Amino acid sequence: MLDRRLPAPLTLTALAVVIGILVTTPLLINNNVFHHTLILIGIYAALAQAWNILGGFAGQISLGNAIFFGIGAYTSSLLLVRAQLSPWLGALAGMALAMVLALLIGYPVFRLAGHYLAIATIALAEIALVVFQNLEFVGGAAGISLPITRDMQGRPTDSWWMLQFNSSKLPYVYLALGVLGVVQVVATLLDRSWIGFFLRAIKNDQTAAAAIGVPVARYKLIALLISSACTALIGTFYAQYLLFVDPETVFGLSLSVLIALVAILGGAGSLWGPFLGAVVLIPLAEATRSQLGGRGTAFDLVIYGLLIMVIAVFQPAGLTGLPERFRPRQRTSVAPAAPADTQMEESLRS
Amino acid sequence: MSLLEVTDLTMAFGGLVANDRISFTLHEGEVLGVIGPNGAGKTTLFACIAGFLKPTRGQVRFAGEDITGMRPDRICRRGLVRTFQIVRALPDLTVLQNVMVGAFLRTHAMREARQIAEEVLAFTGLEARAHTPGKNLTIADKKRLEVARALATQPRLLMLDEVMSGLNAQERQQAVTLVRAIQRRGISILLIEHIMDVLLPLSNRVLVLNYGKKIAEGSPDSITRNPEVIAAYLGSSYASPS
Amino acid sequence: MDATIVQAVLSGALIGMIYALIAAGLSLIFGLMEIVNFAHGEFLMLAMFSSFWMWELWRLDPLASLPITAALMFGVGVLTNRLLVMRVLNAPALAQIFATFGLGLFLRASAQYLWTADFRAIQDPFLSRVAGGRIALGRDVFIGVPQLVAAVIAAVAFALLGLLIRRTRLGLALQAVAEDRSTAALMGIPAGRMFDLGWGIAAACVGIAGAVLASFYYIYPSVGVTFALLAYIIVALGGFGSITGALIAGIMVGLVEIVAPLLLGIPPAYKYALVFTLYLLVVLVRPQGLFGRY
Repeated sequence: MLDRRLPAPLTLTALAVVIGILVTTPLLINNNVFHHTLILIGIYAALAQAWNILGGFAGQISLGNAIFFGIGAYTSSLLLVRAQLSPWLGALAGMALAMVLALLIGYPVFRLAGHYLAIATIALAEIALVVFQNLEFVGGAAGISLPITRDMQGRPTDSWWMLQFNSSKLPYVYLALGVLGVVQVVATLLDRSWIGFFLRAIKNDQTAAAAIGVPVARYKLIALLISSACTALIGTFYAQYLLFVDPETVFGLSLSVLIALVAILGGAGSLWGPFLGAVVLIPLAEATRSQLGGRGTAFDLVIYGLLIMVIAVFQPAGLTGLPERFRPRQRTSVAPAAPADTQMEESLRS
Repeated sequence: MSLLEVTDLTMAFGGLVANDRISFTLHEGEVLGVIGPNGAGKTTLFACIAGFLKPTRGQVRFAGEDITGMRPDRICRRGLVRTFQIVRALPDLTVLQNVMVGAFLRTHAMREARQIAEEVLAFTGLEARAHTPGKNLTIADKKRLEVARALATQPRLLMLDEVMSGLNAQERQQAVTLVRAIQRRGISILLIEHIMDVLLPLSNRVLVLNYGKKIAEGSPDSITRNPEVIAAYLGSSYASPS
Repeated sequence: MDATIVQAVLSGALIGMIYALIAAGLSLIFGLMEIVNFAHGEFLMLAMFSSFWMWELWRLDPLASLPITAALMFGVGVLTNRLLVMRVLNAPALAQIFATFGLGLFLRASAQYLWTADFRAIQDPFLSRVAGGRIALGRDVFIGVPQLVAAVIAAVAFALLGLLIRRTRLGLALQAVAEDRSTAALMGIPAGRMFDLGWGIAAACVGIAGAVLASFYYIYPSVGVTFALLAYIIVALGGFGSITGALIAGIMVGLVEIVAPLLLGIPPAYKYALVFTLYLLVVLVRPQGLFGRY
């Protein structure tokens, strides 16, 4: 929606190249570490994009998005363990539950602004964390291990229906990219509809938005509902990939913060910021962890903490804001030849 | 036919009564001016009518419907829209996008909203600025954008809060022309201005507030001759030299 | 009344006093520059390790080294402001959150790297030897001496902080900067110096809290996490920027944490869930917190 946009054919070409690379490299580079990193990139890019719809577009800062992730992960896992239900159906149930929760907490929580909102979302996720740590029914602090799908001979096997692949990580790579694709498309469609306009109006100035007819509370809630459903879906996928869920990992504050961090590093509010953030941050985190994080010394986290500070100080607008730094300042008053919105309509039609 | 009816509207902030039992009627197609010195309660009155403040007492009826205490966006949907004295252009959105937000009130189609917005931009003379972000506009353009955005919601009544203040003579003349053009489109206008010279020629009728109370109402002519108004504006020494 | 309830009320109020002191620093910083210090828990951790190492290396009791710890932490606060916070003062709120969050992570990880993740404790500090370490207030009602003295010191520190802010020229200058930076600058109050001072005082408060906690609490790199989380809740509950709010909310949280599980018959493991629920209930009624202005 913003005017920082390449001409349409260029955008489409770039998009095709990115998709092409993402689809072909996992086949060419058949390496577990590489595949694992790609899966993590997919997961975190999608999580960050889901956060971006709420935090970046609508400007409602959540530091508790893990609550929806945990609900997605736990719902499908419990349904699988207790009722042998396919994770596909579990994912739907998890998304539905997350949206119900979003509805319940949305109206009261959105009366809060700024830091009050951020801390309320932390509080909500922490409540969920404590409850799941202590409820035996959901496995307590130890969490739940998911059963391995086996064939007639009792050997671990692959199953699309049970969303489990024991012979290779490759299907998970494409699933992660698929989930990311879904969330990315959702965000793009939102961005190019009246909803995107309304959300940005709310972020810019709630009072001015209300004055020209934007139902502020309703659209914040819409953003939260979409964000929560996407996040829950990713939660299910994550549980199926690890075949294990525990409260600290899926409800913890560190996950909530990481989700927001990926989006902010890339560029909160921009359509490709979350993806960019994940592409840069996740491999970096994985590399430092494997190179420096041995024997629990936490040296990787020392670097990670430093990195976060450096970004906050030197590039607070995120990576997508980088070109702005090097661009000559002249565009402000000159109207671009091709207005951005016709391009978005064109690219929508094609 | 009366479009807006305000009855006994009172707004108190603790002990401070910003609006005290104000009643008036605005007729369809009319430009009703509201004047009064700074702190007379003009902006509070706007906020109460448009739903940004819930009046302590009294009633606001718009097109026959009681809208007292209704949410601003609902009031806007019914065709009553306000601008802000302290301009609130959405800073990260371009002028076109700012106006499209208003247009989306009546349609959810991108193409149609864009058409409405472009038409409004042409009408308000902002086409050249269509792709400038809100934050980079001059004050005069920001004020005009306020009006354009409000017009895009296709209102029946437009409430303008000091759209002329802070403008130079030329910009002010353009603004006056714009207000006249809006009236010719059949849109009723409630106009706040504390500069009498600007407001009087534009208004069909004028309402005068002082210290939260309505002290006069009538034709621009009768207002300028009203001793109480003169006293409020020029200080009591002018009205009754002592 | 049931002895266990009395016991719980006492313990809750005592720990609540320490929470309040930790939260006061957070609130002071927010009131001054509208920034939430997400490294606050790590400041507490540093203070506790400072007490620990002075005991370990020189056998200095945490009580005796308290002034040194407070002074050290004052320095940490000023440095944080100079090196980090001033650089993001005009950045978007998101960047500010992540600047201090990154600092917290950096400090916590550095502590683990330097001193390992082991839990440590100061063996037999002075306070645990006074009167056998606890005072009987009745049959079955006891009060730990370290906890009591910690709460008293926290209360004194709190009172001094209140006096400093309300009654001294320095405090007035701080308030002026908090109210309106540019007007204060016109009146010759250097905002930058006041920010240094605010961060210094805030960190010294948390330093005192850490020093008194060190006498009876385990010391480890992530010890600050829970305390900080509670401090955020307390500050938001009391109202961002309100020192009185921090005091009342701190004691409320201490009480709820220990008394509520007893009264409601809920396992103590859920205590933090109760605290967070209390916070949510309060801000639903008063979005600006108990004593908040906005």
